[in-house]
Amino acid sequence: MELTLFLTALLCAVSACFALTRQLQMLQQNSYYPRRYFGWLRKAFSPLCVVSFLWHAGLAALCAFLLPAAPFVAPLAAAFLLAVRVVRARKLQRRSIKKLVFTARVKRLYAAAALLLAALCVGTLFCWQLSIPLLLCSFATPLPLLAAWALTLPFERAVARHYRNDARRILRESPGLRVVGITGSYGKTGTKFILARLLQERFNVVATPESYNTPMGVVRTVRERLRPQTQIFLCEMGAKKPGDIREICEIVDPFFGVITAVGPQHLETFGTLSRVAETKFELADWCRARGGSVFCNGDNAEIRSRATGDGFRLYGTDAQLESHAQNIRYSAQGAAFDLVLGDETVAVQTRLLGMHNVLNITGAAAVAYALGVPITDLQYAISQLTPTPHRLELKRFLSGSTLIDDAYNANPEGCLEAVRVLGAFAGKRKILVTPGLVELGAQEYEANYQLGLAAAGVCDEIVLVGRHRAVPLADAIATTDFPAASLHIVDRFADALAWLQTVADADTAVLFENDLPDNYAG
Amino acid sequence: MQTNLAVFFGGRSVEHEVSVISAVQAMGQINRDAYRVLPIYIKKSGELVTGDVLFDIENYRDLPALLRQTRPASLVRRGDRTFLRVASRGRFSKDEETPIDLAFPIVHGTNCEDGTLQGYLEFLGLPYIGCDVAASAVGMDKAVFKAVMQQAGLPVLPCVTLRARAYFADREAAQKRLADEVGFPMVVKPVNLGSSVGITKVSDPQALDDAASLAFSFSDRILAEPAVSALREINCAVLGDADGCEASVCEEPLNADEILSYENKYLGGGKSGKAGQGSKGMASLDRKIPADLPKQTSEEIRALACAVFRAIGASGVARIDFLLDTRENRVYVNEINTIPGSLAFYLWEASGLSYPALIDRLADLAFRRQRVRETTLFAIETNLLSNASGFGAKGAKGSKRA
Repeated sequence: MELTLFLTALLCAVSACFALTRQLQMLQQNSYYPRRYFGWLRKAFSPLCVVSFLWHAGLAALCAFLLPAAPFVAPLAAAFLLAVRVVRARKLQRRSIKKLVFTARVKRLYAAAALLLAALCVGTLFCWQLSIPLLLCSFATPLPLLAAWALTLPFERAVARHYRNDARRILRESPGLRVVGITGSYGKTGTKFILARLLQERFNVVATPESYNTPMGVVRTVRERLRPQTQIFLCEMGAKKPGDIREICEIVDPFFGVITAVGPQHLETFGTLSRVAETKFELADWCRARGGSVFCNGDNAEIRSRATGDGFRLYGTDAQLESHAQNIRYSAQGAAFDLVLGDETVAVQTRLLGMHNVLNITGAAAVAYALGVPITDLQYAISQLTPTPHRLELKRFLSGSTLIDDAYNANPEGCLEAVRVLGAFAGKRKILVTPGLVELGAQEYEANYQLGLAAAGVCDEIVLVGRHRAVPLADAIATTDFPAASLHIVDRFADALAWLQTVADADTAVLFENDLPDNYAG
Repeated sequence: MQTNLAVFFGGRSVEHEVSVISAVQAMGQINRDAYRVLPIYIKKSGELVTGDVLFDIENYRDLPALLRQTRPASLVRRGDRTFLRVASRGRFSKDEETPIDLAFPIVHGTNCEDGTLQGYLEFLGLPYIGCDVAASAVGMDKAVFKAVMQQAGLPVLPCVTLRARAYFADREAAQKRLADEVGFPMVVKPVNLGSSVGITKVSDPQALDDAASLAFSFSDRILAEPAVSALREINCAVLGDADGCEASVCEEPLNADEILSYENKYLGGGKSGKAGQGSKGMASLDRKIPADLPKQTSEEIRALACAVFRAIGASGVARIDFLLDTRENRVYVNEINTIPGSLAFYLWEASGLSYPALIDRLADLAFRRQRVRETTLFAIETNLLSNASGFGAKGAKGSKRA
C-alpha cells in the first residue's frame, strides 16, 4: 500500500518536473518576474485550464475511491498522466519560437523544485492524504515553480548583485571606453547594428548581441564580451516599465544616448504613451546630467516635443534637423540619399531599403560622426551595410529583374512600407507577389484590405497566392480601377514563380511580401 | 583592464638570435600599464615556451638554464577567443590558460616572418601586429617581391633566378647564363633570407661557383642581380596599412658593403642587465640618421617606400631598403623587411614617435585589420545542410544567389 502510494507520488513528481518546463519557459520570457508571469497566465487562461484541472482532480478522486479495492490503479493513472505530460512538453518545446534556455538559473530552479517534489514524495510515507493532493496540484498549477522561485530568490539576488558589481568594475577599469546607450519603442536593434558597423570604421566596438537589453543581459555582455581594447560599448536598453532604463544606466553609465522612437509598445505595463516617453527619456536625463549628448529621432512627434535643451541632437528626414536624410530614392542598387551631418553633406548609397532604414542610418551616422568617424568613412561603411535576410532584402532575380524580398515581414505597417518602396522604383514594371497577411485576428481583413488598396495604387501586376486567403485583397483591388487582367490569383507559390518566369526582365521589380517559403530563390 | 599581448620571438630561422634581441628590446619598451606581456619563445626546435625569465637578455647567455625555467606553452581556441595554455608544473595541478587579446610576432626569417606564423595566428583567429600571410610571403621571397615590384611599375634591378637542381646539373651552363644575362660584377643571394646572410658580391667568373654554392646552402633557389658600383644603401621605414601609411626619415647604414656577422651587426651594443636595455640591436649599427641626402632624393625615396608598402599590401611597420646609384643618380628598391630588426624604432624616434607610442600604433593597426575582417568576412550562420530541400531538383549549383 505504502509502496504503491510512493510510486504514485514519484510518478506525479516527475510529471510536475515536465510541467515545469513550460512554466519556466514563460517565467524566463517574463524576465523571472512572477508578476509579469501571472499577467501572462491571466491572458493565457482559458476554460480549457479548468477542464484540465477538473480532469486531474476527477482522476485523483477516482483513484482514491478505488484505492482500497485496486491499489494498482493509482500508479497506472499517474503513469498515464506522465506520458501525456512528456508528449505535451516535447511538442510545446518543439513548436516554441523562443525556447527555454537552460541557463544556470533555470537549472537551479529545476533543482529547487525537484528537491521540493522529492520532499513531498517522502511525505507520502508519513501523510499521503496531504502529500498526494499537493503533488497533483503541483503539476496542474504553477505551485512548485513559485515555491522554487521563492526558495532560490535570496541566492539569485546575491548572484545578480555580484555580477552587476563585477560589470561595473570592468567598465570603471576601462578608462578609454565610451558608452553609448540606445533605446526606443522600435528601431533600436536595427540602429544598433548599423551604428556598430559605422563605428567599426575607426573603433573597436562591442555591442549587446541580439536583444540582450535587460540589466542582466547587459551585465552578461560586459562580463563576457568587453575586451581591454574595446573603445566603444553600444548598449541596447529595453524597457517594460518605468525605471528600467535608469536601472541599466546605473550599471553602464552612458555618456551618449540614442532614442529611436516612442510608440505604443508595452502599453499594458506603461499605461500611457507619456509614461513610455518618460521612461525612454531616463536615458536622456542620465546622459545630459553627465554633460553628454542624446541623439533623438526628430521625425517622432512625441520625442521632438520633449527633446529641447542642452545635449539634445536631432536627426530625421526633416531638413530643419541637425542631421538629416534628403532626396531619398530607390533603385535596383538600393536606396540612395544625401546625408547631411551639420555642415557636411555626402551622397550615400545602401542596399537597405525602406524609410525606417534610412532613418536608422541617419541616426547611426549622426552618432558615429559625433564620436569621430569622418564622413567619407561613413559613406563607405553605409555602402557596405547588409540587410537582414528576407527583410526588404534587395536581390537580383529571374532574367536580371530586381527582387525585394520581404518574406519575413508580417506587420501591417511594414507591409505598407514595402509596397511604398516598390512604388518608388521609378520606370520599372512593378509586381507584387503575396499571400496576404495572416494571424492578425480581428484586424486581419482590414489589414489585407489596406494592403490591397496600397498595392493597386503602385503595382502593374499583382499575384495573390492562395484563393481563400486572397479574398480581402481581391475585394480591395476590385474597388479601384486596377485592371482585372493584371490581377492573378494562383493556388501555389510555384505557380506564381512559373508565371514570373515568363514575364520578368531587367525592367521588372518584384516584391515578395510576407510568409512565402524560405527557399524559393536560394 | 590590460590588453594581453603575446610576443612571439625566436623561431626555426637563421635569424633566431636577432629576433630574440629585437623582441626583448620591444618587451622592455611596451607600456606595462596598458599591456600585460606574455612572452612566447619559439625554440630552435619549433617548440613554444613561456616564462618571466624570457624578459631579460642576460638570461639568454646560458640557454639550457633559461629553458629549465620556462614552461611548455600552446595556443588553444575556445569559443571566440584564443588562450595561451601553459603546462602545469605538478602532476595534480591544472594547466593555466590566459586569454590572448593580441599577438605580436617579432620574428625574422624563414618559418616565421615569411607568413607561416601569421598563417597560424590567422588560423587561430587572433588579431596580430604586422603584415598578413600574403604580404609576409611576398616580402620574404626576393624573386616574387621583384616580380610584384615590376608589376607595380616600381624600380628594381633585373635579376635571374636559379634552382639548385638545375644549377648543379650543369654548372657551366648556369654560370654562363648568369654571366651573359646579369654580367659582372653581380650580387648572388638566396631568395628567402634577410640580414645579409649568404650574400656575396662576385666580380669575376672564378668566384661565381663559391658564391652560388654558399647561397644554395641556405635556399634551393638563388637570385643574381647586377651589382651597383657607385652604391649607397638607404633605408626607410613605413608605418600604417594599405589604406594609409607614412614614411619615416631615411637612414644610411655605414660600411654597407661589408657583410657583418651577428656579433657585429646585432650584439655590438651595451651589456646593461635590465630587460629591454640589454642590447641596442639594430640601433647600435653605425648609421647616419637622417641620411645625408638632397631633399628631393629623400622625398623620392620616402614616397617610393610608401608605394612599395602598399604594393605588397603590408601592414604595421616595415623597413624598405633602397640602392642608390650615385653615378646614374637612380634609386632601386632592394628589399622589404616586413618585421625589421628592432622594429626600426630608431627611425621612428628620429621622426618624432617614441617606441611605446609606436607599439600603440601597431596595436591599433592590428585591431583595425581585425575589424575589417569581421565586417567583411561573415561566415554564413545558418547551416546550409539543414535545408534538405536545397538538394532537390535544383542541386547544389541550381540555387540562385543574388
